[in-house]
Amino acid sequence: MIDILYIEDNPDEADVFRRVMSRMDPTPSFTILTSGSEAIDYLLLKGSHLGTTSPLPRLVLVDLNLPGQSGFDVIQQVRATSRTRYLSLVVYSSSDNPKDIRRAYDLGANAYLIKPGSYHDVTSMMRRAVEFWLPLSL
Amino acid sequence: MQPAPDLTNCEREPIQWPGYIQSHGYLIALDVQLLSIVQVSENCGNLTGQSANALIGRSINELTIGDLPGSVLHNVLTVALRSGKPELLNPYRVDIQGNTWQLLVHQHDNALIVELEPAQTDAPSEALSTQSLLSQTMSDIQRSASLSDLLTRIAPTLKQLLGFDRVMVYRFGDDWHGEVVAEAREDHLVPFLGMHYPASDIPKQARELYKINLVRSVVDVREPRVAIVPVNHPQHNRPLNLTYAQLRSVSPVHIEYLQNMGVRASMSISLLNRGELWGLIACHHYEDARQIDYTTRQSAVLISQVLSSAIEIRESDETAQYKASLLAHEQTLYEQMLTDWDVAQGLTKHSTTLLDITTATGAALLFEGQLHTMGNTPTPDDITALVDWLRTTTTERVFQTNQLPNLYHPAELFRQTASGVLMVVLSREMNEFMLWFKPEQIHSVSWGGNPEKPVEMSETGEVRLSPRKSFDKWTEEVRNRALPWRQEEVATTLKLREDLLQLVAQKANQIRALNEQLRLAQEELEAFSYTVSHDLRSPLSSIKSYTEIFLEDYGHTLPHDALPILDKVVKATDRMSLLIRNLMDYSRTSRNEVNMERLSMQPVLIQLRDELLADAIGRKLTIRVGNTPDVYGDQSMVSQVFSNLLANAVKYTQAVPQARVTIDGHGNGTEVIYAVTDNGIGIDMKQAGKVFELFQRLDSATTYEGYGVGLAIVKRIMGRHRGKVWFESNPHQSTTFYVSFPSHLS
Repeated sequence: MIDILYIEDNPDEADVFRRVMSRMDPTPSFTILTSGSEAIDYLLLKGSHLGTTSPLPRLVLVDLNLPGQSGFDVIQQVRATSRTRYLSLVVYSSSDNPKDIRRAYDLGANAYLIKPGSYHDVTSMMRRAVEFWLPLSL
Repeated sequence: MQPAPDLTNCEREPIQWPGYIQSHGYLIALDVQLLSIVQVSENCGNLTGQSANALIGRSINELTIGDLPGSVLHNVLTVALRSGKPELLNPYRVDIQGNTWQLLVHQHDNALIVELEPAQTDAPSEALSTQSLLSQTMSDIQRSASLSDLLTRIAPTLKQLLGFDRVMVYRFGDDWHGEVVAEAREDHLVPFLGMHYPASDIPKQARELYKINLVRSVVDVREPRVAIVPVNHPQHNRPLNLTYAQLRSVSPVHIEYLQNMGVRASMSISLLNRGELWGLIACHHYEDARQIDYTTRQSAVLISQVLSSAIEIRESDETAQYKASLLAHEQTLYEQMLTDWDVAQGLTKHSTTLLDITTATGAALLFEGQLHTMGNTPTPDDITALVDWLRTTTTERVFQTNQLPNLYHPAELFRQTASGVLMVVLSREMNEFMLWFKPEQIHSVSWGGNPEKPVEMSETGEVRLSPRKSFDKWTEEVRNRALPWRQEEVATTLKLREDLLQLVAQKANQIRALNEQLRLAQEELEAFSYTVSHDLRSPLSSIKSYTEIFLEDYGHTLPHDALPILDKVVKATDRMSLLIRNLMDYSRTSRNEVNMERLSMQPVLIQLRDELLADAIGRKLTIRVGNTPDVYGDQSMVSQVFSNLLANAVKYTQAVPQARVTIDGHGNGTEVIYAVTDNGIGIDMKQAGKVFELFQRLDSATTYEGYGVGLAIVKRIMGRHRGKVWFESNPHQSTTFYVSFPSHLS
């Protein structure tokens, strides 16, 4: 069982995320997937994950702007599947467009975090997110 | 003196059975079977030595006419009747007491009508051959280029051939008034060319008779007419019908009329067009009586027929030509509109205008709220009032009249320019019309001579003519009237209407297509700027994050003057990040849909105030929220408006020791107006034009952070809400920005 599944196609963002996580104490366990389709297969046990029994993460962080299936598609599929329906799912996107925010909530996101665009700010935002979500997601 | 002829009586006069003949000949009406005398002209007494009444009932056999035995006549007539067409005999020469007479016979009205006319014994040059009359006429027809040319040629030809002092071609108008369109005359005679005469000068029953009997002559107006006895034909109980009689006496009114003009003898030849009387050739002789030989008159009948068919052909040619020329002008107008891609300009601004597709002397175009006039028209106010009246008067797309003042009394005042009106509706809804005007006819006539001259006198002081009386009458009849609109004119204006409307539709479609292209281009541009802005963010956040990471990991190893340099990198990314955010906000204001709803402003404004105060810790700043009436608008856009206005107010009061910002709203029924007031640096009104422009910053604002996007966003959002934004500023004292939202009560 892992703590966080982060779905992000930008290697720099993923790199900063790894560093931020590694500086936390205790360090949460995490997996990074780089596309929406891969994340859907992983979470819904489809495609290459068909027949596996990987346990669900305690928190999913999903970027919206992804190649192939977008973050919105991920939210929709997750919420439409009984296994993942109650998964803690937080959007983590650089978009501050109210339309995107509303759509994400409409599809069933638990929270919407706007990427702050700075290592220091990412650090404090992730710290708060982990403190808030991980203990709750039992 | 006879009483003055009253022309209005003419309509009722039975001119086909006048009961009289002219005095230069004799008339005997016989029973067709018995050849016994039924009626005779009174002067037959002189010839037979018996009273006219004594002749009635006698057989022609028993008669002796001068030295001509009745039996001779009887034999001739019997032979003539046997052919079934007794007139084929005409003219039959008889000698009576040394004089040669022409016997003219025809059967009509149940009678065999025998007329005796003295044969012409004048110089042989005047005895015209049918051949020479016809060949001259045909050559005139062949050499003439147009109808008016033909008429101009034919008048002198006939004058020369027939030997009258004056030969006129008289043409009827649609209302049967007449105009002299061609004339040949002796030099000393006053010209009648161009004169107009009222319809009553040649009354209806005369016109009917002229269609049947194509040539009539009056030999001498001074000779008293001769009665036919008994007055009534026994079988008809009325006078004998003399429609085809050569000697028929014309109406005394007409004789009086001719006498007033000084005419001694006359002859008239009918001109027909498609079975209807088109005009007359009127021949006048002044000094002497003039009798035209029967054979020559028969030639004149042929000439009448030949000319009539020439007129028919020329008229239809000329109608076709006229139509073609109108349509050619119409085509020119259409091409001008196409080339200019502008209806009003195409119709009014070139050498060919609306005036060229009719015979109108004035035209007006009411189009896209503009009135354009050409030629002689009523005043713009008069035209506007006329159009208002026309709108309520007719529901048709075309309206025409040639007597507007009689239908619409205010037009009396401008009857000189617009007694005739032709209106074509372009669009009732848009109040778009085309109008053409024709003047009152009296003003369009060109007069031969001065129409005000009361009477024309010859050198001897004799009254030569009195067209004045006729002229007055005609003037009265044409008051408030214009020449009628011709079919071809109306048809051409309707063609123009079709072309114009098609063009308007094309134009509307083109504008619609352009709008669509523009919209697509705009959308593409917005999408482009949005995507670019968005994609710029990722590398920017990488730059900032790695700079921070670098500082965290290696900052302590760097020379201490290297740190401020990296600090500048971080600050620069912050500025760029703000710029991108602004750009995206701006592009979003036009991309996103406006979801209108009633918004409660109090919580929105309180939250904005609290956020701004939290960011301004350490400043002496008060933000007062006053009245907060509800606003109808898109929630995120409206809050963006107030966020920008309040943020500006806070920003530009940074240098003020006691910064005060207030926001206050009020509604007035049609709109809700909010005012955001601060006591900051303010705006120099000289630069007022730049305030709402994208990326424009005022001189006074250069030391403040920003990119000149905020107020452009406000303006755009207010535009999308059909609202307004404006400001007033007294720099360093008080600056207020106002936004007004329409109250959506409906």
